[in-house]
Amino acid sequence: MNILTIQNLTFSFPKARVPVIENFSFRVDEGEIVGILGQSGSGKSTLLRLISGLEIPRSGRIEIAGTESAGEKTFVQPEDRGVGMVFQDYALFPHMSVKDNLLFGLSRLPRKERYPRVREMLELVQMTDYEKRYPHELSGGQQQRIALARALAPKPKLLLMDEPFSNLDANLKGSIRDELLMILKKANMTCIMVTHDKEDVEAICGRSIVFGKAEGRPSEAPGKESKLTFVR
Amino acid sequence: MNTESVKHFFRKDFNGWWLVSLIGAAIILLPILFIFFSIFQEPNENWFQIREYLLKTYAANSIILVVLTGLFTAILGVSLAWLVAAYDFPLRRFFSWGLILPLAIPPYIAAYTYRTMLSYTGVVQVTLRNKFDYQINPEWLSISSLRGAVFIFTIFLFPYVYIICRAFLENQSSSFLENARLLGRKPFSIFVRIVLPLSRPAIVAGAVLVIYEVLSDYGVTSYFGIHTITTAIFQTWFGMYDADSAMRLAAWLMVIIVGLFFIEKLLRQGRRYNISSKSRPLVRKKLKGLQAAAVFSYCSAIFLLGFFIPVVQLLAWTRLTFAEVWNDTFFTLLNQTVFVGMISTVLILLFAVIIANVTRSHSNGAYVLSKLATAGYSIPGAIIAIGILALFIELDSLLAPFYAYMGWGKAPLILSLSLAMLVIGYTIRFMATGYNAVEIGFEKIGPKYTEASRMLGFGVTKTFFKVDLPLIKGALFSGFILTFVEIIKELPLALLLRPFNFDTLATKTYQYAKDEMIHEAAIPSLMIILISVLSVAVFQMIDKKVKK
Repeated sequence: MNILTIQNLTFSFPKARVPVIENFSFRVDEGEIVGILGQSGSGKSTLLRLISGLEIPRSGRIEIAGTESAGEKTFVQPEDRGVGMVFQDYALFPHMSVKDNLLFGLSRLPRKERYPRVREMLELVQMTDYEKRYPHELSGGQQQRIALARALAPKPKLLLMDEPFSNLDANLKGSIRDELLMILKKANMTCIMVTHDKEDVEAICGRSIVFGKAEGRPSEAPGKESKLTFVR
Repeated sequence: MNTESVKHFFRKDFNGWWLVSLIGAAIILLPILFIFFSIFQEPNENWFQIREYLLKTYAANSIILVVLTGLFTAILGVSLAWLVAAYDFPLRRFFSWGLILPLAIPPYIAAYTYRTMLSYTGVVQVTLRNKFDYQINPEWLSISSLRGAVFIFTIFLFPYVYIICRAFLENQSSSFLENARLLGRKPFSIFVRIVLPLSRPAIVAGAVLVIYEVLSDYGVTSYFGIHTITTAIFQTWFGMYDADSAMRLAAWLMVIIVGLFFIEKLLRQGRRYNISSKSRPLVRKKLKGLQAAAVFSYCSAIFLLGFFIPVVQLLAWTRLTFAEVWNDTFFTLLNQTVFVGMISTVLILLFAVIIANVTRSHSNGAYVLSKLATAGYSIPGAIIAIGILALFIELDSLLAPFYAYMGWGKAPLILSLSLAMLVIGYTIRFMATGYNAVEIGFEKIGPKYTEASRMLGFGVTKTFFKVDLPLIKGALFSGFILTFVEIIKELPLALLLRPFNFDTLATKTYQYAKDEMIHEAAIPSLMIILISVLSVAVFQMIDKKVKK
């Protein structure tokens, strides 16, 4: 099943003459983990923000799990899209404990089911003992796991990750990559991951696309099988 | 500090810049210490009477004003900041700076404008009577009360909270807010659960500025006939000619303010975390239909009440009295105001630059020095004035032999009748405004240029003139404007410290209003507002530059 379908997506920042993303089309199937590579400024983070509804496209269509989220006449607000996102700096709410951070996203669940879900997620990321801690009391790797757990807790149809490893020590990266892959597979999560590091993609992603700054639009990564389509 | 580190300090850090800084700090500290020590003197009979019958009411009124105004400005400020930062609605860009404008109208001007408008012969009641044949219960419109003062302070001081909260929300909160939306939360719950708790430091910082203004106020409260500790200081000085008791009251007000200091620290404490700053500006959500109309009406109402209505009323009064007021006497008044304002501003920036240049080295004692330099801002004008008056009278009596030697008569009051008192008063009170602007300038350029210059063989002073000064020119300019405007608006200090027969725009405005010559007060009032709007424009300019 198709989880994400993007057709002819174009976006430009206000006042900018050249669009960051132009006529971009793209499909992701259920359970796939797709990497998006590219230099900074190439528009890869913008693509995530467009999928999540934090930016409004100039033209084109975005369909998430069979529902049109952005199109000529539709625009579904981010809170109603069912998309999870792990931010580059994690954005854990500094004034809430780990538990409250996770509970925050579960407001649509019946009251009784909320806390068990928190426990379940903490078990998944192996952080059960840290429920009462505050974000600033956690290490970078721990913060990342909590951010992941928080994003997965509401059972999103699609998970977006923006440079998930950029704030981590190089020697930690290897083990955390493996862990992440395991967690995502366990949860059978469809995931799009933005990164500038080829090794991330090789370790985790089933396939990848490359955003190039010079060309101004994405191209296929060589040597990887891809379902990428370009209309242009 | 042990002797070893003192020696070390003199060898490594001490130079002419330090010396001047210490002199500056002494000027600021002396009058304040003078007041503090008055607590330990034997009180006179008057004081017992004041303490017995009046102090409780005065303190209660001051505290009620502070608590209610603090609360309402916080609500108004943070809600407007949130709407302007997170949503798009008709005229949003205009409101974004338009809602700062109420700050350009000093509360005492707003007080007499609103009271006159709402009086029996004011435009509101007259219009209702003549056009609609409706006699409103005058009770409803009576503004000369604690309630009215809270209204005036709230409407005209909330921008302090608004400015700080808006800057925080626009620049530093986006990743949290976006995350909250992606986790499926609706706007209201995001506001309560995320915006309010995260903005707490910003709200407290703004509210504290509001509270200092309220405690420092003399214009509004005395015009409305509300007895606070500040008005009591004036009364005991001018009404009972009892300087000792006035000083004692000032000391008590200081105690309240020191208490506030600790409460502020307490409120800002709690979980110590840095709010991530690597975020992008907030993407605004477009509002439509009823929601857009509601937000637009809310912003419009506050803007009309806080700027448009009083300014239009003042313009109308100006037409009535233009020929009468706009003459040579007025120009003399304007000249005097600008003259004393300029001298004080230049003096302030001179000290500010020197002290900031010393404190940026982060050497021993730099922190204390910077705190001293900014202490005056939290101290009401009336207290500073009393301290200076007492100090100068003391100085005059000390210098009496010298005066006699010079043949100026026996024990005349020379220093304490001079303009120097007012200039020093302004300097102490507004050193913080100039200092903060200069400090921001230094922080922006960082130490690297200075260090490079030192490595190339220039001393501190040469480096300052060749490298630092050209780089902080912009900060100096904005510091100059902001300080100058604060001085022009200041009332209680000018009332107490001006020499005989010397008026500023502020004192003249107050005098007119007090003598029920409201229409005549319109022109000097508008002049003050015009100059203040200038500072808002500068604010806006700096803001734009930072965003670029």
